[in-house]
Amino acid sequence: TCISHGFYAEEKLLESLASMSTSERIKAIQKMPETMKKKREIRNKVLKEITKKSRRHSNQLPCCTQCLHGTAVSFRRFGNSLSEYFHLLQLWHETLKIIGAEFGTSVLSYFIFLKWLLTFNIFSFLINFSFITIPQFVAAESNNLSFTGLELFTGAGYFQQTVLYYGFYTNATISKIKNGPSYNMQLAYIFTIGIYFVICFLILVFSIAKSFCRNFVNPQTYSGKASKLLCAWDFNIINEKAVKLKQKNLSTQIKEDLTEVNKEVLNFSIKERVVRIVIHLLSWVASLGIAVAACAGVYFLSINNLKLFVKGHKNDLESQAAMLVLPIVASLLNAFIPFFYSWLGHLEKFQTPGHLIYVTITRNIILKISVVGILCYYWLNIVATSELQCWETLVGQDIYRLVLVDFIFCLLGSFFGEFLRRIIGTTVCVRLGLPEFDIGRNALDSIYAQTLTWIGILFSPLLPGIQMISFSIVFYVKKVSLMMNCQPPRKVWRTAQMTTSFMFLLFFPSFLGVLSVFGVTVWRLKPSEECGPFRGLSSMYAAVSEWVKILENYTASKWVVWIYHNLITSELFFFILSTLVLIITYLYWQIIEGRKTITKLLHKQIVN
Amino acid sequence: MGNKQTIFTPEQLDAYQDCTFFTRKEILRLFYRYRDLAPQLVPLDYTDKPAVTLPYELIAGMPELKDNPFRQRIAEVFSEDGDGNLTLDDFLDMFSVLSEMAPRDLKAYYAFKIYDFNNDDYICKSDLEKTVNKLTRNELTPEEVRLACEKVIYEADADNDGKLSLEDFQQMIIRAPDFL
Repeated sequence: TCISHGFYAEEKLLESLASMSTSERIKAIQKMPETMKKKREIRNKVLKEITKKSRRHSNQLPCCTQCLHGTAVSFRRFGNSLSEYFHLLQLWHETLKIIGAEFGTSVLSYFIFLKWLLTFNIFSFLINFSFITIPQFVAAESNNLSFTGLELFTGAGYFQQTVLYYGFYTNATISKIKNGPSYNMQLAYIFTIGIYFVICFLILVFSIAKSFCRNFVNPQTYSGKASKLLCAWDFNIINEKAVKLKQKNLSTQIKEDLTEVNKEVLNFSIKERVVRIVIHLLSWVASLGIAVAACAGVYFLSINNLKLFVKGHKNDLESQAAMLVLPIVASLLNAFIPFFYSWLGHLEKFQTPGHLIYVTITRNIILKISVVGILCYYWLNIVATSELQCWETLVGQDIYRLVLVDFIFCLLGSFFGEFLRRIIGTTVCVRLGLPEFDIGRNALDSIYAQTLTWIGILFSPLLPGIQMISFSIVFYVKKVSLMMNCQPPRKVWRTAQMTTSFMFLLFFPSFLGVLSVFGVTVWRLKPSEECGPFRGLSSMYAAVSEWVKILENYTASKWVVWIYHNLITSELFFFILSTLVLIITYLYWQIIEGRKTITKLLHKQIVN
Repeated sequence: MGNKQTIFTPEQLDAYQDCTFFTRKEILRLFYRYRDLAPQLVPLDYTDKPAVTLPYELIAGMPELKDNPFRQRIAEVFSEDGDGNLTLDDFLDMFSVLSEMAPRDLKAYYAFKIYDFNNDDYICKSDLEKTVNKLTRNELTPEEVRLACEKVIYEADADNDGKLSLEDFQQMIIRAPDFL
């Protein structure tokens, strides 16, 4: 009976496989936990079944379906060979493998995140270049300024009259031939950037949802220590030193876990608890105070900058160099205040090391967001409403300088933080040892750089191209520095949750902040009168509303006007949309809660 | 591209593509890696399905497995006769499961078999003790190892029989997103 039972099970398996579509069947066979021999047998049997079935059917159906079937098979083979070539396009696949092999998956996650940010920039650069810059080349004005080398650092001078900045773009409708097809630069500018942001939004939301689903939805009802043991082995590591280190870490961790079991939970007396809370409060006050001081410094420096700029347009070396003071100060603050925060964190005695890491990262995020926030306030409220000729180009130049100086500081940070630290750790002060790669700090720096780039896209459409180059150079420099100077991480980072947190941080403060800046600029601010694609309009959005008014005169495009009036500009539509989203979210939440209860009940049943 | 290779028949390659997560190129590359371990044993013509088995010592010398503390168990789990000697089929199977394209439940299934040292379809206490020793390179005292194993069984054993079955193990893996 055992054999016949197995045979019956196999029959059922073959039947179910035969009834699936081809790709599903292949996936199902690949996933089967059997030996290769068994899988091949099953596959051959299934194929025989299918040909038997199709032979039976082919006597009844016309030969068209056979042709279709044949074309489907050849399409699949073509798709397979295409995917092989697509694999070649994978950037840095081997480099990432090597990093994972020597340092483990947590360090690898930073580099994968950097590569993911790079694809955003490549995409933006490609569409901006094709839809905005290339038409501009057709209608370009000549550039009368001279080129000195200093422009690469300050972004001003010669670059002011190039496609790098908003001010250079024309507001005309470009057409090469008289009465030929025309290209409306205003609409192209606003739609290209708008659609790019919408696509980014969708990509971010879907990535976060996917990552969240995989890593957080099944909450750990266990304390997680058991799973730490059996799931802790990172099979990616193939370097002998790294393997030994990982084993040492695991044994230290297990020892720590065991001693925790023996230690009882320390009950602090009331006095000690109050003291601890006061210490925590004081350090938070200190860190927030430092952040506010940094913002105030940046704000006054930028106001000063503006005054200098408005007063005299001298293009000499001194005033050009003065423009670099603000970005350098901002980068210095971003580089050194985190050290103060980690020192502060070590002073307070947190109950777990995890707490320390999260608190320090939160403080760093608050610092970076406030600096970016104060700069945006300065640009949107002060520069935009000042009496400058072409304020968008000025903002674009500011952002260019910030991005460039941030890039230089990143390279310097790598040099000092890792190279010199290694030299010190191996020769002068051997107790320190090799430095570890600081994943959190590097990831936050990359998010900061990407935020600046996103803000700058509207004012300097080719900025993503510059950032693209910068990220690539940073990738290589960090990789070389990692291989030469660092040791694999000692603390066990929870990698999967870290990747989700990076994406989440990229989305929430960073991307949504950028969207609000974009919104304010497009809807509220008055574009400058004399330069740029939106000169003379009351707001950048006015270009779209005027276009819709023109479209109303054509009957062929009445549907566009209808969509515009009833969906995009109507508040009722967005209200209904938000209500629907809230209802769906609530339903999903209830489903998850219900499943949790069922799991608990079933668990009880198994135990009893 | 082209069908210039003469190692496998097209049907064999199709079968390999359907049964593993690899593309044609990767399968051929893996074949050459297999052959490089022992060029005199492995023929260049697999169309007649020769029965060639490479001994465990050659497999264990591969750079990907050389430092892995579980290399012996990995080879034993994927070999036909359970002694670590791999045919080309087993070799491809092993790398297919270890590759990044394999889904987690498949990896969890094989991880269970790797940690099950006595092949009785349960991870009992002695299996766990051997696992912990391999994971920590014998750095813990026997007392610490025993305590750690007791904790694991206490936390993960859902049906309270003192050992971990495949379902217990899979439940634990689902809750641990860091499993690789």
